[in-house]
Amino acid sequence: MPTIIIDGREVECRDGISVLQAALDAGFNIPHYCYHPGLSVVASCRLCLMEIKMQDPRTGDLAWSPKLTPSCQMPIRDGMEVRFNTPMVANNQRHVMEYLLLNHPLDCPVCDQAGECMLQDYALQFGRATSRMVDPKHNNANKDIGPQTLSYQDRCILCTRCVRFCREVAGTGELCVVNRGHRNEIDVFQGVPLANKLQGNVVDICPVGAMLDKKFLMTQRVWFLESAESVCPMCSRGCTIRIDHNLGKVWRVKPRFNPHVNGWWMCDTGRFCWDMIYDDRRLLQPTVRRGGAATPVDWKDVAEIVRGQFERAGQVDGGKQVGVAVSPFMSCEEAWLLTSFVRETAPGAMYVVLPTPRVAQDEVFPVGSAREQAKFIISAEKAPNRRGMEQVILQASGRHAATFEDFVVEIGSGRITTAWIASGSPQPWGDSELIKAAEHLEYLVVQDYLHGLLSETANLVLPTCAWAEREGSFINDQGNLQRFQRAVLPPDGLMQDGQYLFEIAGHRGVFNAGRVRERMAEAGMSTFASVAEAPAAPAHAH
Amino acid sequence: MARLEPILTSNYGVANSQTLEVYRERGGYQALAKALEMGCDEVVGAVKKAELRGRGGAGFPAGVKWGFLPPDREVTYLCVNCDEAEPPTFKDRTLVEEDPHQLIEGILITAYATRTTTAYIYMRAEFHKQFHIMQKAIDEAYRAGLVGRKIMGSDFATDIYIHRGAGAYVCGEETGLIESIEGKRGWPRIKPPFPAVAGLFGKPTVINNVETICCVKHIIENGPDWFLSIGPEGSHGPKLFPISGPVQRPGVYEAAMDISVRDLIFDQDFAQGMLDGEELQGVLPGGISMGILRADELDCKLDFDDVRKYGLLGLGTGAVVVVPKRVDIRTVLLNLARFYAHESCGQCTQCREGTGWMSRIAQRIADGAGRVEDLDLLIEVSKTMGMMPGMNICGLSDGAGWPIRSVVEKFRSELEAKIAAQPAGAAERALERINPAYYVGAGRVKVT
Repeated sequence: MPTIIIDGREVECRDGISVLQAALDAGFNIPHYCYHPGLSVVASCRLCLMEIKMQDPRTGDLAWSPKLTPSCQMPIRDGMEVRFNTPMVANNQRHVMEYLLLNHPLDCPVCDQAGECMLQDYALQFGRATSRMVDPKHNNANKDIGPQTLSYQDRCILCTRCVRFCREVAGTGELCVVNRGHRNEIDVFQGVPLANKLQGNVVDICPVGAMLDKKFLMTQRVWFLESAESVCPMCSRGCTIRIDHNLGKVWRVKPRFNPHVNGWWMCDTGRFCWDMIYDDRRLLQPTVRRGGAATPVDWKDVAEIVRGQFERAGQVDGGKQVGVAVSPFMSCEEAWLLTSFVRETAPGAMYVVLPTPRVAQDEVFPVGSAREQAKFIISAEKAPNRRGMEQVILQASGRHAATFEDFVVEIGSGRITTAWIASGSPQPWGDSELIKAAEHLEYLVVQDYLHGLLSETANLVLPTCAWAEREGSFINDQGNLQRFQRAVLPPDGLMQDGQYLFEIAGHRGVFNAGRVRERMAEAGMSTFASVAEAPAAPAHAH
Repeated sequence: MARLEPILTSNYGVANSQTLEVYRERGGYQALAKALEMGCDEVVGAVKKAELRGRGGAGFPAGVKWGFLPPDREVTYLCVNCDEAEPPTFKDRTLVEEDPHQLIEGILITAYATRTTTAYIYMRAEFHKQFHIMQKAIDEAYRAGLVGRKIMGSDFATDIYIHRGAGAYVCGEETGLIESIEGKRGWPRIKPPFPAVAGLFGKPTVINNVETICCVKHIIENGPDWFLSIGPEGSHGPKLFPISGPVQRPGVYEAAMDISVRDLIFDQDFAQGMLDGEELQGVLPGGISMGILRADELDCKLDFDDVRKYGLLGLGTGAVVVVPKRVDIRTVLLNLARFYAHESCGQCTQCREGTGWMSRIAQRIADGAGRVEDLDLLIEVSKTMGMMPGMNICGLSDGAGWPIRSVVEKFRSELEAKIAAQPAGAAERALERINPAYYVGAGRVKVT
């Protein structure tokens, strides 16, 4: 490991990184705008300039260079010595901050970025309180650059992160810089809106409030937002994300850095998926079917009803009349609670994983690049947890899950009389074969998210909560077990899936996903013994 | 002051000097033949020995620059910088107009020395006529077997293309020029890697000014010792000095670099003094980026080193602009500041914002609403946005700050007198108009 000296402190650093990255990793607060570890280096904001000890060409002695060097551009060399804590460096930072604010409108009170704005933070830490410019500001126009994004060019500091993102990560290159000098602005090419599937990231990486998410625009002050660590449920990639919420409502979803899964990025499908929470087709109460009509049932009676039905069916033929379909939208803990209850009541039950919605192939970014060079992948499997379901069934029952086709045949032939079908898909779904076969069932429990044909014929309908209203874990397409926290409470009248399954499985008290995972591990399911956590990003990186 | 025997300008004014026929009659392409008999390294050695310094502005030794090329390279590109965008500079333009074959011969010798197979002439957008002259000469040379395959019957082959710019000053900067040829926005690149290692299309690249390349021809023709015999120590060889402003005979003059600004302006062989009724106020001697000389500093010698004694950044392009007394020094300041604000590429913060700020301050001063503190502010901005040693990706910000600082420092008393002569309260009223919150009642609000 190379060691370099920053401000007199020895710092061990990873190979092949820049001095700036080494300093950030070591906890130094070095101001920077244009540098982003996921993008190419342009060294144009000139804020991270440092002094470096170099060999004097005349004397050959090591001496502090009279010239400031950009630390983002300087690769580390073992034994090199740099410093940021000098008047020359501070003077440059002070002036650059003044320059950046010369034409900035200072409209912080109405800016979405306020509170998480690096212009505010660095102005406070490294800048000056007033501008000495008494002349008129140059204001670039604000523009609508795409279906989801606005560009407020008067706030822009021209770090070009967004331009580089579109070129280097998305591979679509919609954004460019137009004009020259202080009239520079970010723009789209004529007639080509910013509409690639990763475009929301430009809002995340914008260090100021120049790139704005239309959906979040002027909805919340960011300092009121609380964050829950979560995993995106929209494909089997399982991007590491955080859900920002306030007053029981989700306001936005942002990616968290995870080098093993999504890097710094996430796709727009995941970013805006929280709309599903406010879908008015949601099932909002548990119902039982009595004489053809669905009647609301009290949550406290659900466990008793379910246990009664399954125990009765389980006593026949070693439990072979019971069938359980778990869903790739379920968490591992929920599936385990369900299967452990069924195994106890009907040892011979059949287990199956509901088919995962798929598109033709994975989408690789930059667009058109080979998979090996991919900087971001959207998986073709549009559900988060197929692998988790297969693992739970295999490790809990010792058998592989049956095929869905067999399951439908068993139901249609009447050999399975009592079934639990879980879906939880945020999209309306329905397998016509399954729906037809289900008519032969004596007793059907449907656990689903939206109203559908199956839930209309079921004897007992249990609503599923949105992923943001639950806690648990998913196994992604790389086999990483990733946990997600609950961000918001479910709507009135709903109970978190884990909780009612916990009660159905015969436990008492409050469902806790971590504790359930411990029990799973204790039961010999080694996959669930440890969770793959995203490493914490350096404190001063942004 | 004896005028130098014409070297670079020897074909100027000759009838049909642009044609291959006339150029050959006057001894053209003999240097190329001579170079082809020498080895590549020998040509490089001769240029190194002649201590040829770049004529584009920075004065970097050309032979040393070529020496940075990695020895095991497969492809090398040569870029000839004919962007000539420095404001009062029009020397390369005359070289192309009057003697395009001299440039082609220089390019071929340079290409041979640096093992280049493709040369690009990056020509500024505004050179329409010059483009056609140059292209005609290249076509002629192709037909004569001087460019292309088997040049002069040897194994040496090189192509010459003209790439026309789109009108950006910054594209005269080496790496801005490279980006522009590659079809990108002319934003200078971060260095390292330097162009000699990874330049055009990522390959080793030599970039030289038109005048430098033309000098190469004469070094090979007459030998490095002849070249060294011209001019003072450290600044050898002939140099073109374009001179403009209210002088009797503006134009391009060739001289050794021991010529003083005074001689260039007043000597009978050169500009022959000021126009009748004009009085000299100051001189911008090296394009506009190098700074200004006061009327009492005309003994400054136009070589690469003497200029520094007079607070100039360097020799620059050697283009001399004479500023007469009748011109308000505030207008000079505004003209300078406005140019850089218009031409800064906007990549680096200090340059993007600093040039824009300085031009607005200069505008206000020129409008008669200046404050004495604005002069200090101009100096502070110019110092923090660049200056040697540079803080930014390219040298534009250094070249933008220096002349502003130079004018403000050298003409401070004149500027202060102009400000003092403003109607009382003019600056305050202007500021109040721009920003009504600037004043509250009678007292200025100061927050620090």
